[in-house]
Amino acid sequence: MPLVNFAAREINYKIVYYGCGLCGKTTNIQYIHRKINPNVRGKLVSIATEEERTLYFDFLPLTLGTVRGMKTRFHLYTVPGQSYYNASRRLVLQGCDGVVFVADSQITRLDENVESYLNLWDNLIAQGDDLSRLGFVVQMNKRDLVDVFSLGDLGDLLNHTGSPILPAAAINGIGVFETLKAVCKQVIAKTS
Amino acid sequence: MTTRRGLIITDQQLERCDQLLWELKGLLNCTFLGLISTAGQPITSASSDHHPETFSLASLTASAFAATRQLATILDEREFTLLFNEGDAVNLHVAQVNDQVLLLITFGRDVPIGQVRLYTQRSIAVLQRILADHSGDDQQLVVDDAYEMSMEREMDQVFRENGSE
Repeated sequence: MPLVNFAAREINYKIVYYGCGLCGKTTNIQYIHRKINPNVRGKLVSIATEEERTLYFDFLPLTLGTVRGMKTRFHLYTVPGQSYYNASRRLVLQGCDGVVFVADSQITRLDENVESYLNLWDNLIAQGDDLSRLGFVVQMNKRDLVDVFSLGDLGDLLNHTGSPILPAAAINGIGVFETLKAVCKQVIAKTS
Repeated sequence: MTTRRGLIITDQQLERCDQLLWELKGLLNCTFLGLISTAGQPITSASSDHHPETFSLASLTASAFAATRQLATILDEREFTLLFNEGDAVNLHVAQVNDQVLLLITFGRDVPIGQVRLYTQRSIAVLQRILADHSGDDQQLVVDDAYEMSMEREMDQVFRENGSE
């Protein structure tokens, strides 16, 4: 549901990073904020607990280009991953144009990944949406750790839309911008 | 490919909204008025001062308002249609214009809240008519295949400049 403002010559898209607790959603946004040209980004807003776990969301606006005089902005959000924050997750998902599902590749986190993926579907269906109508990519994070699932196995479980899968180690910045670019492309493609 | 149509604001609509916001600003003698989408994106504003944090303001306001509506549901209330925060120097008033748009006003302690509510209610009725009027909606959505390709080149450039590729 992009906001197209002809008078201000702007198109605004909302992208949400989704996934279980401690999978690396905030790490992605923080890395983008640190590395991208300050001229194209706004302020990083985080509503977190004292332990720096996301309580409500993180938010980062980016202006990634001007085409035909129309400035294109992407508003990046994360959701709180812990299961008891579902009400907050539903609010952040409202009006989104794209989703990055950040999966924790570690074998020990399989149940949390699947639960979060199913929860994403439930919440989108509850708001009358579904992943086939949105820009969607799956980021397989923490590929730098040992005891991780293969991309193929995880993809079978966490990607029922044939969407792009991107390996990443967000803590080191690996795959972060590739993921962002992939979801931005998907989001634009879904509205063209 | 599925096409999702979102909120589209035309030149004419924005011009009329801006005119109304500036009139309201004069009537209320307030510091900042803004229209934002319920998804948290700024649409337009009337402000005497430069507000560099408009994006944060829009995102946080939309989220707080969404949370307020959810609270209404939990409390078996049909809906809470406005949100009011009182500060030492600045008050924040947020009201729903329609399903996709919120009106945000910041004002000083010298402005009576009753006056804000009264004028806001009247303004919302006018804003609803403006936003529902699609007579000038002949502008085509510019997101087509050519736009997609150009945008991809722009993004490549941004990421390359930052050494992120």
